[in-house]
Amino acid sequence: MTARQATEPNKGFLGWLRVVTIGRNPATTLVRAVVLGVLCWLVFNYTLLPIRVSGVSMEPNYHDGAANVINRLVYKRHEPQRGDVVGIRLTPDDGSKPSIIYLKRIIGLPGETVAFRGGHVMINGQVLDEPYEKEKCDWNTVTMKLGPGDYFVVGDNRTMSQFDHFFGKVERTRIVGKVVW
Amino acid sequence: MKIALRIVVIALVVAAAVWLWGVFFPSADKVIRKRLAETARAASFDSSQSALSKMASAQRLQYFFATNVEINLDLPGHQARQMAGRDEIVQAALAARGSIESVKITFPDVMLTIAPDKQSATADVTAEVKISGDADLNPQEMKFELRKIDGHWLITRVETVQSLQKPEAAH
Repeated sequence: MTARQATEPNKGFLGWLRVVTIGRNPATTLVRAVVLGVLCWLVFNYTLLPIRVSGVSMEPNYHDGAANVINRLVYKRHEPQRGDVVGIRLTPDDGSKPSIIYLKRIIGLPGETVAFRGGHVMINGQVLDEPYEKEKCDWNTVTMKLGPGDYFVVGDNRTMSQFDHFFGKVERTRIVGKVVW
Repeated sequence: MKIALRIVVIALVVAAAVWLWGVFFPSADKVIRKRLAETARAASFDSSQSALSKMASAQRLQYFFATNVEINLDLPGHQARQMAGRDEIVQAALAARGSIESVKITFPDVMLTIAPDKQSATADVTAEVKISGDADLNPQEMKFELRKIDGHWLITRVETVQSLQKPEAAH
């Protein structure tokens, strides 16, 4: 009789709704929800940074308005590599999660010299092969020497005027992480 | 059960006390962040505002700056501009309201460094500026220097910072 009374509320639509919304055991559901919440908080604060691309400086490989995710842990294991597309924070690193970041590709590594000659990227005087570049450009810059903690980053859209494009030397501490796809 | 209830009540009272303390005696960090957000709001305007309201918000800007404030703006693709003193800022704000339909300024990322004596501070901010009819304005890193003058945190210096150090163009 007691057992029958306990299962009574689970009958019918309301019972089904109750099971769907809070589960058969509310305490277990609460624990699961708390664990899921903590997990999401940890993942999206310290590991993955969801982003939405704004602007055309990474066209044609990353389109304006596209969603992506930045892996903030990838450079704990190794240093950034040439060709990596990375997020760069605009304010110095204080451990906080930045709201706005630049999305750029690394073309120059610490200690190297970087220049644009007739649209070609010159690394230590040698032309860099850039398979991700679809269009030719006419950018020309003086040679820049990178320090031990410096990287050279640039967008993929070289059809833009070099004067309108944000690119150049950036400190390692400003690199937030690498895009996931 | 009674003990658990008491613990919960005590925890709630302590949390409320901490919150109230923060409301009545805010930290310098909190005050400066609020001040910067108010500055951004005062610098912004939109087309729905009346001419009087636009003028009032431009005048209100002076309360956020020290009398001898210095501003150095060097934005890519624009001519570098220097301003000195509150009056010049208000004049520039009034001129902008006369020639541009709307401007929205926000500082989504703020990194504060407060001096040990709590009388001066530096804020590295990301400024996002949306101007009507101009879709290509990039977010810009800026540095604000503030000083506590007569009990108020006032901006004494503003400058743009190049997050990426661009090489000179060659021909």
